[in-house]
Amino acid sequence: MSVPKKFRLEDTIHVKGKIEVEKYVYTPGVAGLKLAEALIDGRMLGIRCGDKILVPAKLYCPDFTQGEIVEVKDPWIVEAYTVIYEDMYGRRLEKPQIIALVRPENSLGGIIHYVKTDIEKIRLGLRVKPVFKPREERRGLITDIEYFEQLE
Amino acid sequence: MRPNIYVKDKVAIVGAGLTLFRRRLLETPRELAWEASKQALDSAGLTLKDIDCIVIGSAPDAFDGVHFKGEYLADGSGGFGKPTVRVFVGGGTGVMTPIAAWWHVASGLCKTVLAVGEEKMSHAYPHPQGVFAYIWDPILERPLRPNLIWIFALEMARYMHVCKASKEDIALVSVKNKRNALDHPAAQAAANITVDDVLKSEVLVWPVQLLDISPVSDGAVALVVASEKIARRVTDTPVWIDGVGFTLDNTHWYNRDLSYPRYLEYAARMAYKMAGIERPWKEIDVAEPYDPFDYKELHHIEGLMLARRCEAPKLLKEGYFDRSGELPTSPSGGLLGVGNPIAAAGVMKVAELFWQLRYEAGARQVKKPVHKAVANAWGDLMQVGTVIVLST
Repeated sequence: MSVPKKFRLEDTIHVKGKIEVEKYVYTPGVAGLKLAEALIDGRMLGIRCGDKILVPAKLYCPDFTQGEIVEVKDPWIVEAYTVIYEDMYGRRLEKPQIIALVRPENSLGGIIHYVKTDIEKIRLGLRVKPVFKPREERRGLITDIEYFEQLE
Repeated sequence: MRPNIYVKDKVAIVGAGLTLFRRRLLETPRELAWEASKQALDSAGLTLKDIDCIVIGSAPDAFDGVHFKGEYLADGSGGFGKPTVRVFVGGGTGVMTPIAAWWHVASGLCKTVLAVGEEKMSHAYPHPQGVFAYIWDPILERPLRPNLIWIFALEMARYMHVCKASKEDIALVSVKNKRNALDHPAAQAAANITVDDVLKSEVLVWPVQLLDISPVSDGAVALVVASEKIARRVTDTPVWIDGVGFTLDNTHWYNRDLSYPRYLEYAARMAYKMAGIERPWKEIDVAEPYDPFDYKELHHIEGLMLARRCEAPKLLKEGYFDRSGELPTSPSGGLLGVGNPIAAAGVMKVAELFWQLRYEAGARQVKKPVHKAVANAWGDLMQVGTVIVLST
């Protein structure tokens, strides 16, 4: 069904709107700044709250006490995964991409990241570790980790 | 006069905390909310476990640049596994936040509420002003490319004309508030300035000049609100919320009486009636009228019926509203002095009255004995009035 002519934008009296904010500039936050510095260093941080370590690092624990920011160690565990076949515009990806929720073995929480392995091999509970970009390419962002690769 | 309302529980404020007010703080909005919340809980001697419900106040999502800001802020406001709501009436949110906390407790639904106001204005670049482009009518106003200060300039001009107030009279508010803020540890725009400095500052939209306006700020403020039983258990000096009021006026701002804030008078009458106050100008000891602009404090003093119409400038000149005066207004330093992180600024005003009524305001403590206090905030499309009356 074609759109009736009277509903076309060019046939209406209308006012164009533009929110005059060029961009947003977000500060990283106290914990976020430490996290960014650690990523450049090739490390990942969590927060120790009582006897638990939560990932990623935050300034405060869920019970509002001030936790201690600690480095987390490999290996990481795949908690959940999905395989992306199409991007958000419906275009088929050249190669399916695995996205997983991964967490360090001795921690709670976790982060979302790419996992590089064969689709036949991906499973819940798979042990993985982060692969960082070369140091000079790191920017203090989560993409400083290029992907997670399978251990063993 | 008898209060006109039956509530399940009397409601008190038992703790307050705030972050620094600054432009471009390192902290994320969540981290700001946490800092203020933690301080408020500590000051009440409570922990997050003791809190039943969470009320978050924050103005447009577009300020922080985070959609679903209420849900986002819940993380730093303790909103896990608890009934959590966000209230939003633009600039009026600051006082709406403790009002919402009040009805959570007054209804009997919750015994303790953590009420958090947060705003991070510095994320929007180059200026948060751009966010307001969409408040205007697309046919009648937007094509003229108005900005927010137009409203204030027209209001101020109207007030000056109707009340025969001069720029010098009005500048005194800025002088008073920025001086009061020198004693506020969180203040962003505290200064010892003169009327001359205000009149010589950059003219933005006549008659509004740079020093007539509050700054762009980041910050968070939190209050702990509790039922009577809990309040009496945790503190010897609870500050009672005696009355609350809120009203909307005409959304077509140019169809309102620009010289007088009717939206505020209606809200104030509602709050005073609930609080059993018949003569606010006699019964109120200290006030925190909303002062994003200097003329606005005078406007709101009159709207709160603390002075007769057009009488505020004259009383101000006599020192009536000074900290040592008969009815101190904005002893904190207000938005002009402490800063204006929208929703947090209003909560800061209520927090200030909390400290004033408990004689905990330190160098900011007003000279006279204080028992009853009132604060208001103003916002939305500049037509919402929110009022809270506190007592010891």
